[in-house]
Amino acid sequence: MKGLFKSKPRTPADVVRQTRDLLIYAQRSPDSRESKREEKMAELCKNIRELKCILYGNSESEPVSEACAQLTQEFFREDTLRLLIMCVPKLNLEARKDATQVVANLQRQQVHSKLIASDYLEANIDIMDVLIQGYGDTDMALHYGAMLRECIRHQSVARYVLESQHMKKFFDYIQLPNFDIAADAAATFKELMTRHKSTVADFLSKNYDWFFAEYNSKLLESSNYITRRQAVKLLGDILLDRSNSAVMTRYVSSRDNLRILMNLLRESSKSIQIEAFHVFKLFAANQNKPADIVGILVANRSKLLRLFADFKIDKEDEQFEADKAQVVREIAALEPKELS
Amino acid sequence: MAVHHEEPTSTSRKLHFPLDSSAYQILGEIGSGVSAVVYKALCPSVNSAVVAIKSIDLDRSRSDFDAFRRETKTMSLLSHPNILSAHCSFTVDRRLWVVMPFMSAGSIQSVISSSFPNGMSEPCIAVILKETLNALSYLHDQGHLHRDIKASNILMDSDGSVKLADFGVSASVYEPNYLNSNSSSKTSSFRLTDVAGTPYWMAPEVVHSHNGYGCKADIWSLGITALELAHGGPPLSHLPPSKSLLLRITKRFNFSDYETRGGTDKNKSKKFSKSFKDLVGLCLDQDPNKRPSAEKLLKHSFFKNCKGVDFLAKNLLNGLPSVEERFRVLGGVLSKNDEDEDEDDDDDESARARVRNRRISGWNFNEDGLDLHPVFPTESGSDSGGNSVFPTESSSESVGKMVRFSGETIIRLSSESHESFLSSPGRVVEEEGAHLVRGDESGESMESNLSSLVGVDSNAGGVDREAMVSGLTAFMRSLDEQRSNVVTLIGLLRGEEVGEVMLSREEQMGQVIERMRVELENERERNFQLEMELEFLRIQISGAYTTTSAGSID
Repeated sequence: MKGLFKSKPRTPADVVRQTRDLLIYAQRSPDSRESKREEKMAELCKNIRELKCILYGNSESEPVSEACAQLTQEFFREDTLRLLIMCVPKLNLEARKDATQVVANLQRQQVHSKLIASDYLEANIDIMDVLIQGYGDTDMALHYGAMLRECIRHQSVARYVLESQHMKKFFDYIQLPNFDIAADAAATFKELMTRHKSTVADFLSKNYDWFFAEYNSKLLESSNYITRRQAVKLLGDILLDRSNSAVMTRYVSSRDNLRILMNLLRESSKSIQIEAFHVFKLFAANQNKPADIVGILVANRSKLLRLFADFKIDKEDEQFEADKAQVVREIAALEPKELS
Repeated sequence: MAVHHEEPTSTSRKLHFPLDSSAYQILGEIGSGVSAVVYKALCPSVNSAVVAIKSIDLDRSRSDFDAFRRETKTMSLLSHPNILSAHCSFTVDRRLWVVMPFMSAGSIQSVISSSFPNGMSEPCIAVILKETLNALSYLHDQGHLHRDIKASNILMDSDGSVKLADFGVSASVYEPNYLNSNSSSKTSSFRLTDVAGTPYWMAPEVVHSHNGYGCKADIWSLGITALELAHGGPPLSHLPPSKSLLLRITKRFNFSDYETRGGTDKNKSKKFSKSFKDLVGLCLDQDPNKRPSAEKLLKHSFFKNCKGVDFLAKNLLNGLPSVEERFRVLGGVLSKNDEDEDEDDDDDESARARVRNRRISGWNFNEDGLDLHPVFPTESGSDSGGNSVFPTESSSESVGKMVRFSGETIIRLSSESHESFLSSPGRVVEEEGAHLVRGDESGESMESNLSSLVGVDSNAGGVDREAMVSGLTAFMRSLDEQRSNVVTLIGLLRGEEVGEVMLSREEQMGQVIERMRVELENERERNFQLEMELEFLRIQISGAYTTTSAGSID
């Protein structure tokens, strides 16, 4: 692209303003003559490409922070972000990708050491609805998904998404038949559930019942291998996070949860087995095991001990061996006292 | 940059291929690797399209699926005539199916091995490289690195069209920040300071990925690919792959790269044009900044009268066995060697580990012979302190020096194994210099090269002789040690008395003397320390005498 823009010494703010005008044009219903429209759309794509070049630099030059700040300021001074996001379906593939990268980059731009994107999104939080629903559209999913993941870097935005009705839809998005889209949704879901610790802990304690009911039935007991595997891994990450300790204690006191995890332990997939172990060990290590949990563990004691005896991972892992030894000790020492 | 083909915005995501394995009729296997199989298949519901399906065993990958997510995402978002994109991808139980257009002529690598074991003609090479460069120019413009450019990842269709494939290890420069700052995920294995790719083709800065690398690493790999097309294989590739690095070194020691392939005569009666050599030379510059971009390379004189892809179809595909047949022939061999050289993925962890084991620490490109000589590092465990004399990372700012001397010992792989010993270090550095000194080994060039070896700026007139001598001695010692290690290994492995052949009597004596000298030095050191200690004790005793704090003496 070099040399293309050399003759036009426009400021970054100029580029933003011109992009905005073109976006407004593109949004209008296509009643004007087609040829003119094509021309304008081509110009819009060029402008978006230039925005990207300013923000990321190109092969010849690094981005200039002053230019980036100007661009960002102008971008959020008016409603350009919303316009751009709404117009993505009207762009060609290359411009869609450029737009995605522009939106992603803007989330991290600081103006006077302030993330103004965060303030903008807080005031325009409904944009998130558009982005999340993108997972339902095969053509938009990867673009909107990538933008969404960048936006939930802002804690307030993540909180909104977690508490919105959209949260339930993720359980379906994760299992969409298109692998690339399902994987993208899973990455976003994981980001939501792990990035902002206090927000996540707060969300889980308030929404414990429906969330884990869905998590268990739709993800951990899914017929889809990859869903189960990702879900059990993420569950381990969530429960082992110190900020979620209250949630963890609650989770490992449920006999239904234990049953699901024990089924995952019996899977023929080594990877799932290992991830399941990292959750199962929490049930075993719990020092205040409810009687029914103890009951199940005692009833399955010999089977569990046999399983763990041959339970090895390919790579040597001291922590894993130590955990295993402790789980075995716990189970071996169990007495079904309260049941008798 | 490449022509932008505007696609109508109305068309939805390409053709809609079914996301269900039962909708495909598998015709046969056309490739296999550590954790993936590639099938040729028919899709009756989409105009009976012939497709290639890469089926990846997900259970064999330990990591989370970010790598696959990115690969499939890349493949569905890239759109260029020279890039193999995916029709769709979906999971089938534990396997990930990536459905792609079927490229009926298979990989260029398989074309080479079945029809052109000694390399292709220059006009063919030009077309292939040009088409590949088109793809690279597009990729780099998008901020993507391919990171695994090689002939087996360049596919050809029956009409001669060429597509770059396999984004198993590709990366986007727009993503790493995000990934690295994401503390909860372990996806950092894909940051751009990681080692990825296939070793023969890997650029020096990728091997030594301390500082990260960019698009220019792909350009290096393209240069190696050019050699691969010209000679029939990348440097050293004719040697059978094996598990251990040490075994590989000992096997390769004393072999010139193309010796066995081209017979004993050194130039194999193959002549390459000046512009081709120049192109390869530009790609294989040790300094990534000096390598031209893909866009720039497309304007190189080598591509001036470049033919179209139909030329390839005419010249390469005649009498070529089908992809399936080629796979059957090669497949047996491949599986025996437990290696994956065909169109497959390397994104399995074990594969990546293996990749790491096959590092090559540097290359010496000999433009005249169009040869590239790799320099292998040894296992770090076998290193001796002798290397510490050499400059470490901090002094390697001068762009010329790409071969690292810290923690590594250099083995020169040379076609003339009888070459005098001392000339080796000179040759090692020779090609590394910013001002390449080729071929001639006059005293002066030797001197400047060697001075750069010990960290003295070769442009400065004065050379610190003492530093140089000590550097050289240490270098020689490390070479000797290396040599004796290799001999021991060969002895162990073959049970033969190869040692005598490789070590002359003088050298052995020299080694013994050197070792004794070191011992003597150590002895002296210890003696001195003991004396110091004695002195210290004496002082303490006399002190204790007066203060009567005898408890401190034992």
